[in-house]
Amino acid sequence: MTAGLFQSTTIPVLEQVVCFTQARHNVLAGNIANIDTPGYQARDLAVADFQKRLRGAIEAKHRPAPASPGDPGGAATEPLDVTAQNTPTVMLQDESKVGMEYQVSEMVKNQVQHNLALQIMVHQFRQLQTAIAGRL
Amino acid sequence: MFPSLDISASGLAAQRMRMNAISSNLANISTTHNEKGEPEPYQPRFVIFETDDSIGGNGAAGVRVGRVEIDPVEPLWKYEPNHPDAVKEGPKKGYVAYPNVNMMTEFTDALEAARAYEANLGAMDISKDLLNQTLKILA
Amino acid sequence: MSPIQGLSLAAPPGAVAPAGDAALSGGPTFRDYLLQSINEVNAMQAAADRAVEQLAVGGDVNPAEVLTAVQKADIAFRMMLQVRNKLVQAFEEVQAIRI
Repeated sequence: MTAGLFQSTTIPVLEQVVCFTQARHNVLAGNIANIDTPGYQARDLAVADFQKRLRGAIEAKHRPAPASPGDPGGAATEPLDVTAQNTPTVMLQDESKVGMEYQVSEMVKNQVQHNLALQIMVHQFRQLQTAIAGRL
Repeated sequence: MFPSLDISASGLAAQRMRMNAISSNLANISTTHNEKGEPEPYQPRFVIFETDDSIGGNGAAGVRVGRVEIDPVEPLWKYEPNHPDAVKEGPKKGYVAYPNVNMMTEFTDALEAARAYEANLGAMDISKDLLNQTLKILA
Repeated sequence: MSPIQGLSLAAPPGAVAPAGDAALSGGPTFRDYLLQSINEVNAMQAAADRAVEQLAVGGDVNPAEVLTAVQKADIAFRMMLQVRNKLVQAFEEVQAIRI
């Protein structure tokens, strides 16, 4: 009963986004801290890669699982669980993307995305609680 | 998703490069030799800004530094016959070529660059505030 | 979801007079309106979910629109929940009538 409770909401997707933005914040903070370190190469998490894998996992979730007796459809949850952890770190080669202003603006955009995903997730949890309680 | 932040960031980067050029001009106001040590007066540099359509979208465009130009202005000639860099022969004999950097103009440009930098920072703050306020839709 | 089961319990006593007349004349009954509203609320929830997924994947979507869609779906859901509660209450009151 509880396994499918969250699958019908967007909570698993948002969970991945929040984990990813958290990790990316740490990487960007490291870039800013090392702004004067000689020989330091700025790095970032591959955002496009993460989004592509997340999109694939969402589509896999929506595609009805091939009917097989005894399979509760649990396999559909696995792709969604690991998208955030396996994002590779990329070294930034482009000169224009290494400056302090770029790093700070990326951090701000990351923060906004993190807050958005978090707020929507909180909202969904509250909605589930309302549905379970049956009272407004 | 948030082009306004990218645009402001491009503005910040461009103004900082302009500030670098101005600082370089002010620092080299009396430089009579170039990097190789040959007697050549410093020519002031200035940056050329270009609209960058790749940042932002829907008509909103960012900025980038197109190139750093060297101002081909005539150097200032001062009569110093005992200076080792003085011209030996010709109509300018005994004159030394100094960089023609107008300190007042450069300083005013520096103030303008600083104000533009602050303006971009303010715009960025407002964008951030806008996006955070949007979260209030979820009561 | 459980609200749907609750409503199908309440649907038969659509023997409220106006609905009864409509049923006799072959028009849409209260039950039909109810089921249609449930489908609409479900569609709104699904649309809001799609919009949130688009936002998470970095699609070209306006955050304000996504949040508005989520909030509208939420309010529609709460409205339906309250309607269900009232129907169940009415059903229990009718049941408690001693003949």
